[in-house]
Amino acid sequence: MHPKIEMIIKNIEKVMIGKREVAELSIVALLASGHVLLEDVPGVGKTMMVRALAKSVSADFKRIQFTPDLLPSDVIGVSIYNPKSLQFEFRPGPIVGNIILADEINRTSPKTQSALLESMEESSVSIDGEMFELPKPFFVMATQNPIEYEGTFPLPEAQLDRFLMKIHMGYPTALEEIEILRRAEKSAPIQNLEPVITIDELLAIQDEVKNVYVDDSVKGYIVQLARATREEPNVYLGVSPRGTLALMRACQAYAKIHNRDFVKPDDVQYLAPFVFSHRIILKPEARYEGLTVDEILNNIITKSVIPIKRFVEK
Amino acid sequence: MKNGAYKTIELALYYVLIFFILREWLTPIMSITGIGYVDLILLFIALCLAISLFRLPIFISWIMKISYISWFIVYVYSDLSIFSNEGIQFLLNELLYNFALMFQGEFFHITNSFQSILFFILIWMLVYLVHHWLTVRMNIFYFLVLTVVFIGILDTFTDYDGTTAIVKVVLLGLLMMVFLFVKRLMLQSGISFNWYNYLKLALPVLLMIGMVGLVGALLPKASPQWPDPVPYIKTMAGQGNGLGGPVKKIGYDEDDSQLGGSFVGDDTVVFIAHATTKQYWRVETKDVYTSKGWETSHSDELASISLGEPIHHFHSLPVGPDEKRQFAHIELRYPYDFIIQPYGLISIDARTDVENPIRLIMNLETEKISTDYAGEFLYHVEYSTPEYLYSDLTSTIQQPIDSSIQEKYLQLPESLPQRVIDLAKEIVEGKESDYDKARAIESYFRLNGFRYETEGVPVPDEGQDYVDQFLFESKIGYCDNFSTAMVVMLRAVGIPARWVKGFAGGEVIASDGDLKTYEITNNDAHSWVEAYIPKVGWVPFEPTIGFTTNRNIHYDFETDAYQDDMLTVDEDTEPDKLKDEQNEEMKQRNVEFTSFKNWLNHIGPILNIAFIGIVMASILLFIFRKRWMPKLYSRWLKHQTINEATFEIIYLRLLKVLELNGLQRKEGQTLQSFAKEVDEIFSSTHMSQITEAYENYIYGNKQQIDYGKVKECWENLINRTSS
Repeated sequence: MHPKIEMIIKNIEKVMIGKREVAELSIVALLASGHVLLEDVPGVGKTMMVRALAKSVSADFKRIQFTPDLLPSDVIGVSIYNPKSLQFEFRPGPIVGNIILADEINRTSPKTQSALLESMEESSVSIDGEMFELPKPFFVMATQNPIEYEGTFPLPEAQLDRFLMKIHMGYPTALEEIEILRRAEKSAPIQNLEPVITIDELLAIQDEVKNVYVDDSVKGYIVQLARATREEPNVYLGVSPRGTLALMRACQAYAKIHNRDFVKPDDVQYLAPFVFSHRIILKPEARYEGLTVDEILNNIITKSVIPIKRFVEK
Repeated sequence: MKNGAYKTIELALYYVLIFFILREWLTPIMSITGIGYVDLILLFIALCLAISLFRLPIFISWIMKISYISWFIVYVYSDLSIFSNEGIQFLLNELLYNFALMFQGEFFHITNSFQSILFFILIWMLVYLVHHWLTVRMNIFYFLVLTVVFIGILDTFTDYDGTTAIVKVVLLGLLMMVFLFVKRLMLQSGISFNWYNYLKLALPVLLMIGMVGLVGALLPKASPQWPDPVPYIKTMAGQGNGLGGPVKKIGYDEDDSQLGGSFVGDDTVVFIAHATTKQYWRVETKDVYTSKGWETSHSDELASISLGEPIHHFHSLPVGPDEKRQFAHIELRYPYDFIIQPYGLISIDARTDVENPIRLIMNLETEKISTDYAGEFLYHVEYSTPEYLYSDLTSTIQQPIDSSIQEKYLQLPESLPQRVIDLAKEIVEGKESDYDKARAIESYFRLNGFRYETEGVPVPDEGQDYVDQFLFESKIGYCDNFSTAMVVMLRAVGIPARWVKGFAGGEVIASDGDLKTYEITNNDAHSWVEAYIPKVGWVPFEPTIGFTTNRNIHYDFETDAYQDDMLTVDEDTEPDKLKDEQNEEMKQRNVEFTSFKNWLNHIGPILNIAFIGIVMASILLFIFRKRWMPKLYSRWLKHQTINEATFEIIYLRLLKVLELNGLQRKEGQTLQSFAKEVDEIFSSTHMSQITEAYENYIYGNKQQIDYGKVKECWENLINRTSS
């Protein structure tokens, strides 16, 4: 494990109990310059997770609570006329920050959603023809509640593709839940979290991630999985090349976290469900039969052929 | 496109195989029904197969087939051309005429041409069915079984000989089934075609079929184990005429005046002989053929013989050289009152009490030696097996034969049908010496569809000749039939011959060095032939199928007689010198050939045993391959060097070794998780270590790998697997 990353995770674990995997995956997305969609019922610690991460990195943390009446300018910011200087001045919205929590993203109108997603993709915002670079790192963790459908605007598939991964928080185990109660007796521990890594250090690691070696054989394996989702008869829409690229980036970050300078098929196998599951749409008949995307992905992974030889171009 | 072409080639292969199988259907039908033009009909099959291979549109296919049939009918049944008006007229007339007959229900009057059309349509349907089996069902098993049954039935009930056809069909069919099975497997498992996979599946089975064929060809074939069902079925159907007459029990019987009929086996031991070689045991000869059986001409020339005295001068038979004298001990188990004699008998001795010596009386006519003691007793005989010089046997120099021999041993009944004599003359035609003539008659039965049977052998009817019945009607029988027929035929061509009774060699039950113990049972009672060859004397012959002669012929190639015999062709036109050279060469070759043959005979049993041994060992090795293969493989691998260049091969071999030991990685399992599994089983960390190095090597593209450590892990793992 990378020592710095280990420190971040340790820090998060001080406030989040039993969510090491989620923390690790979030950091993977952060290091891969991607964004995360957290999908789960309310109250399992999505916000806490993001805040703990932001605090550990000493990054600028912003939170946007999405509501149906939220406008794009409420997210991005507005230009306001300054009578003193006789000029329009840009007043940045909450999106201008390092780590953004976009809470309940499916509650707002598609217009606002796309404003957020566009800036996620471009890492910049444009107002009145002017481009504003967003600070680095720029990391969005959006949450979405899968239970409520009333008055929601589900994200279209094309938008979902913008997220590097989709992570489920899941309920804690009984022991973990007892531990949560025990800690809550004292005080809200989140206030006491100290940053363990500077922004510059984080950016340095982010840079290194790009240098993690991916052998052609492993690239072939990633492509093999992606293609399998497209050929799977139960799947209506398979993984796009953007998804393939996302998986490779995620794998690089994952390898970096584990202090390795190359990617193994194990990384691919581990990350594929998180990176692929929200990019696949099942056929209706498959859904009626009770098949889930996870089952199908699992099936594809077990049936895949692991490269065990050096890649030779044919 | 590539796939389509491949499919066509594949189907073409199947069709070629099917064509050959169908040919085996047609050939017997043709030969039995007498339909000619086999080639044209085969061509039609080929046409049908080709049409269905290339998936021609149905109307083209119909037009082609119908045109072919029309052409065939006009070509075969008329002298007209199909392209002429008359030809088409002929065809139409035929069709109309036969349709009219069919509607009137007069099927017997349908012409041959129309039958041919129906036959073609049948083939058409058959090919369609085969196509269906091949492409839809992908299973040809029932077709194959039908073919084998069909040929089997034809072989049994008609003159058609299906021996090779069955072998061909089974081999072709097995090939076919292999191909189809592999195809089905690939379809089921969804593997797309590639040559490597295909060969991996098909090659072992093909090899196996090859092996089966080869072993089948090499193994000795037993004679049919089941009695031929045909006579039985015929009898049941009320068609039997005289077959299966009275049933006798086999054994030595003095009365041979009425031969024929079936007999049942009897394995009562009659005597035991201790001797160095297997040989025929002679009891007596008979000379008068009555057209029903054998009798002896009554002349009571008797000679009294003392024990231990040489008696060969009483015998008409030659005796071998003195230096080859040997003894045989005979233990009688059945109270015969005669002596059992080997060929070349010199003297008889027995330990008897002095006061009551056993007296031996020899009938000089039949050469039977009777004793006045009937009971189990033990005696030994001294003999030297007669040797015949090949040159003497085949000598064509006319020598006067003793008139007494001529008179006695050329006797034939007047009622003997002329066709027996004609047949005999036909058989010996072109043969120079009496010996060659006798050989020709001896081997006649083996080559002309005669069968050895003990059941269903008829007894000649009133006025019917025993030999004639056997030669021309029943063609089945046992030793009496064959030997009697040979004697009669020999006499018919002027060679003096007599009928000999005795016992065949029996079975070895014990052996002590050279000396073997033979057990002779009633089943071994036998009859054979002796022919009088000028210059040599009486020579035994064995015409009965399934028995071999014990003639001891010395092939003396140096003699002129032999050379003359070999070089009767073109003697005058060949220059002398060339002739001499050829003589030399021929001599040389013959000597080489015989020595090679001797050598083969000599090492034959060893070869057989070695072959069986190798086959058995192979089977055992195959069955227990899981036990020895990994160990052998591991031992071989242990001393491999590991470096940058070989690491990949080494690691893949390690996986293979583990697989042979039952630790198989699933395709979708990563190396790391597999390594953990292996380490858990071996409770070590070597596999994980070597796997980590390997991951660095292939996924990380690393150059610096601690091969020393890898080697250590490798050896450790290999040791684990091989222990």
